[in-house]
Amino acid sequence: MSNKLFLTPKFITTPSQNGVGRYVCQLQRVVLKFCKNHGSSRGLREFIEHDLINYSKENPGTVVYLKPRRHRGPVIVGEYLNGDQQSIYCRNFSREEISKWLNLLLSQSGNHDGTRLRKLWHTEHPSIQGPWTPYTFRDPMLNLVKFPNADLSKVLNQPKTATEQLLELFEKKKNDHAPKQQSE
Amino acid sequence: MSWLRQLCLNFTKYTRISTTGALNITNLRIGHAFSTAPTPYEVVNPNENRQLTDEIIGRVNEEKKGRLFAIVHLAGKQFKVTEGDVIVVEGYWPPTTGDKINLDKVLMLGAPNFTLIGRPLIQTSLIDVHATVIEKTLSHTKVNFKKKRRKQYKRINFYRIQQTMLRINKVGFVGELNKPEGVVVKDRSYT
Repeated sequence: MSNKLFLTPKFITTPSQNGVGRYVCQLQRVVLKFCKNHGSSRGLREFIEHDLINYSKENPGTVVYLKPRRHRGPVIVGEYLNGDQQSIYCRNFSREEISKWLNLLLSQSGNHDGTRLRKLWHTEHPSIQGPWTPYTFRDPMLNLVKFPNADLSKVLNQPKTATEQLLELFEKKKNDHAPKQQSE
Repeated sequence: MSWLRQLCLNFTKYTRISTTGALNITNLRIGHAFSTAPTPYEVVNPNENRQLTDEIIGRVNEEKKGRLFAIVHLAGKQFKVTEGDVIVVEGYWPPTTGDKINLDKVLMLGAPNFTLIGRPLIQTSLIDVHATVIEKTLSHTKVNFKKKRRKQYKRINFYRIQQTMLRINKVGFVGELNKPEGVVVKDRSYT
């Protein structure tokens, strides 16, 4: 079921561990539908005349079918090993455009229309050294602390009170004046 | 083991030269943007803590066989990869499906008990990260919509980005740490 209005969010999927041992092309068959007379199929007809033999020789794993039909628009239909089907309507496409779209079908692993990748990374082992917790890289002495603990229970980032500030100022002045008195 | 984990291993140079924090201010002349005085430095005794360094290197060489991860620089982005991962490279990137490539720009290599940090890269003779291109596709259609209020200006543009999926086949640590004699520089192809 493909939704035309909204994209389905998906994660990266790879059919049957492709690429772990060797790479297997996932395109099973391609059907080129075209009209023998109409101008809108001209690019596809040119592609068939000039490039199709090379294309099928280079990709022996893919079956290519040709389906001429009168007075209908040209379509490329690809079928993948996972059962997906993808059709591309290529009215007035040039020969180069056709070969580009066919190469896209070749290099894809399924029909990704209507889906959006949520992450550009897939892994079975998200962490090797262990996931971070609030206790990683903390002082192990914290394990032996006995509660209630006055030092750890203090309110953090408490601003200085006016009394403390005044006391600090007084201490500072006292220190400033101390060496002078000695020199005299 | 955490003390071992946090150690950045210095394996490329025997002698470490570190700059001292104190700057000689008398060499700076007012009116000049930069000082011409040489940067002060001190030579650290290379034999200091030799035993500890040797012990750490020995343990790293022992423990390098488990599952490793690597930070790989690829097509302008950095990926954290381990064996069996799939990553997506966005934008135009020439390799095609079925291609096997070596990822030589490795910034960091990690195992459960140690981490090698490159400065900025780890020597290519020490690491072996290779991958297979498994898919080349296009992203979903993205919309670029611009509008200026009260200015009769509205533009809409649709585009799709090329995406290349890579399967990481191996993240390995070959060779021995701190053995620079047998260093062989491979033919590098940086991406």
